[in-house]
Amino acid sequence: MKGMKTEDFVNELKDALEIEDEDQEITLETNLKELEEYDSLSVLSIIAMIDKNFSQQIPSIDFVKITTIKSLMDLIGKEYFK
Amino acid sequence: MNPIFNLNNKNIIITGASSGIGRQCAITFNQLGANVILIARNKGRLKDTFDKLEKGNHLIISQDITKYDKLEEVVNTAVDKLGRISGFVDSAGIEMTLPLRSMQSSYYEEIFSVNVIAGFELAKIISKKKYINKEGASFIFISSVFGIISQPAIVAYSSSKGALISGAKSISLELASKKIRVNCISPGQIESTRMTESIFDKLSKEEKKKRIEMYPLGLGKPEDIANACAFLLSDASRWITGINLVVDGGYSAR
Repeated sequence: MKGMKTEDFVNELKDALEIEDEDQEITLETNLKELEEYDSLSVLSIIAMIDKNFSQQIPSIDFVKITTIKSLMDLIGKEYFK
Repeated sequence: MNPIFNLNNKNIIITGASSGIGRQCAITFNQLGANVILIARNKGRLKDTFDKLEKGNHLIISQDITKYDKLEEVVNTAVDKLGRISGFVDSAGIEMTLPLRSMQSSYYEEIFSVNVIAGFELAKIISKKKYINKEGASFIFISSVFGIISQPAIVAYSSSKGALISGAKSISLELASKKIRVNCISPGQIESTRMTESIFDKLSKEEKKKRIEMYPLGLGKPEDIANACAFLLSDASRWITGINLVVDGGYSAR
């Protein structure tokens, strides 16, 4: 596994959250839970996205401790990114 | 107990027999006098079910029921060893909790192949003259309360269970002339089954609590469904066909 570009990961997240506004600034420090689009359904979408791209099944309970996008990447594992 | 509620000497095929509702069906039907033919993919768990059975002629067949071209051989083996079939309970099923936006066409295909097509294919084979008890028989498809009402993010599961309910009605009309009754049972959530655990794993603590509170009588037990199946398999229900019996602790009464 070569690792995913951070930029690609953010785009995948935007897809899962259905953020359509291209100008909406999303950085690694963005707090996922402060996004208007974040809800229990989007968590399921994010879980499916992570499963598809990283073959990891993250239980939704783990999302309790997620804050920023960076913290989600840490949960998946730094080694999966470049 | 009124002798009409027994399953004496009936040979009953059960899919999804390695766990949950299917496993309890095997145990309950056996207690009521039936011989059971247990089908599931997982051989180890299937054997665990088998070990819980008492006297009678029983058979376990480890088979992925979505390998449709193997199903005739399965039924043929069962009839060869035990005799003609008087009952079929299709309890094999998988769930999927995923929002519409994350669904892919292949996911629907996977769910429908296990939850709908395999059961209908088996019904086709078992109802053949050479396999079915000439005195009559009873088929039951285990649907779900989510085949009638629904929740967000279960489009594939919900639609597959709805398909079972309407498909079973059509089959009931076709097979009535062979004295085969065909019905559905639609359970609500059953506590501590693999499926319920898998659904609850995806919910937060509050969501889980809220979900349980939606059941006026609390969550169900596998016995609650197996008992309803036993009724529909027994001669006590000889005039009942084409129905969907909802067994959900009051969930859908709201």
